[in-house]
Amino acid sequence: MAKVLVIGAGFAGHTTALYLGNKLGRQHEITVMSNRDVFGYVPSWVWVGVGHMKPEQTIFKLKPVYDRMHVKFVHAAAKEIHPDASDQYVLGEEIGSGKEVRLDYDYLVIAPGPLLNFAGTPGLGPETGFTHSICSLPHAVKTRDAYLALCERMKKGEKVKIVIGTGHPGATCQGAAFEYIVNVHKDLLKKGLRDKADILWLSNEPELGDFGVNGVQIKRNGIVQKSSEFIKSVFNDHGIRYQVQTGVTKVEEGKIHWQNYEGEEGATDFDFSMLIPQFKGQPFKYIGKDGSDVSSKMVNPAGFVLVDGKYGLPYPELSQTPEAWPAQYNNPTYPNVFAAGIAFAPPGPISKPFTNKNSLLIAPAPPRTGMVSGVIGRVVAMNIADLIQTGKMNHSERMTEMVAACIASMGDNLWDGNAVTIVMRPVVPDRKKYSNEFGRDLFISHLEMGVSGAWMKFMLHYTFIWKFKGLFGWKLIPE
Amino acid sequence: MQNEQEFSKAEKFWMNFKLYQLWRFIVLNVKIYTIAVQSKFH
Repeated sequence: MAKVLVIGAGFAGHTTALYLGNKLGRQHEITVMSNRDVFGYVPSWVWVGVGHMKPEQTIFKLKPVYDRMHVKFVHAAAKEIHPDASDQYVLGEEIGSGKEVRLDYDYLVIAPGPLLNFAGTPGLGPETGFTHSICSLPHAVKTRDAYLALCERMKKGEKVKIVIGTGHPGATCQGAAFEYIVNVHKDLLKKGLRDKADILWLSNEPELGDFGVNGVQIKRNGIVQKSSEFIKSVFNDHGIRYQVQTGVTKVEEGKIHWQNYEGEEGATDFDFSMLIPQFKGQPFKYIGKDGSDVSSKMVNPAGFVLVDGKYGLPYPELSQTPEAWPAQYNNPTYPNVFAAGIAFAPPGPISKPFTNKNSLLIAPAPPRTGMVSGVIGRVVAMNIADLIQTGKMNHSERMTEMVAACIASMGDNLWDGNAVTIVMRPVVPDRKKYSNEFGRDLFISHLEMGVSGAWMKFMLHYTFIWKFKGLFGWKLIPE
Repeated sequence: MQNEQEFSKAEKFWMNFKLYQLWRFIVLNVKIYTIAVQSKFH
């Protein structure tokens, strides 16, 4: 009987666990170790952050799902990973009791989600800083409370400044921030308060609509359209000001300090701000059999797990080398250790990085959330099942092959709501396969705005919660 | 788009015209489902 241990129960870890439970759960020991005992449907936290959805509508308990799927659940925070052969185990701390937990494994999947590195930008974040976040449910709730308090001030006639975007020169997840800024705009419109707010988009993207994936390009009526033009139209239509090519360096009460591509330093005043922090890998200790630190074999300096990608290529070369992106997501030194979702180390950025004259690197990190996380989780699960059953892996999917669909909410109302529906193939441009300058399949790639997107976003909320609960037909719903 | 700066009146009309949007809802669902399911065979 093989022992498979999954650390984390977010999009990637939970998807891995569902497929493993389904394929192997009856014959082998599948265990999930997570510091949270609930699954959180992250895409809907943007609605929690404006008070349009109750937090409890976005979560459900994991244990009943795992009981049905023949998966063992351990509510503990992983601390140490011991990857050396014949001595492979993970040490964790049980949540609540604080007791040490030891779990042995034959195959390990590291999928704990990101460490929200608020410390990377002094003054950033809701706990010790001055800005808000929607990257965790408690943060989204705190953001909602602060936003609703701001609305009360506006109702009394106060004019306010709202800044939304990225809070670090290397931050990712611009898509979530985009959804939040447009939902705030729409909510203020409905409340009759829009004229009381000056809203600014502040981001590290090279251009509007880049989203950390080098933008989205589509062909419509023979003409190539770009997300930069599209998002510019959205912001102009909504009266949202924008400032891109900007890395936030420090936040003080009511003031965001930044540098831009030109190396200019500036500050922007705010009354309310939601800025996405830099993401890092979880700070696990990686310890060898002799007690030595084996981190350098397992993770990059940011704490992301090294997998079967080609690392160290300069951006111009990487952008022409689709095979540099990992395919099976296992560590070269410890091939029975896999990483899924945010946890794996990408070989480099997708969008063009820029270093300004003050040597500040402004470069959006590659987004590896949502559909990408789910797909990687499935590939990892299938390969572990293959290894156990046949001894070799038969599945692979690079981000240069992967299709991703994203519905960016722009108001949740089913009558007058709106959303941008984005489809990209591949997520990371493959300039060898697709001969156009963008390296994308312009027939499949799609960008469209309309109330149908709002319906889809609403539908996806319930469909995906159904899937993640492992209910009837869950496997028919794609990641 | 009318130009690089703003949506045209016609585009805004179609974005909110419910019958057309119902059609787009069906088309987009089929498109996304089809390409996402293909990914399962990798």
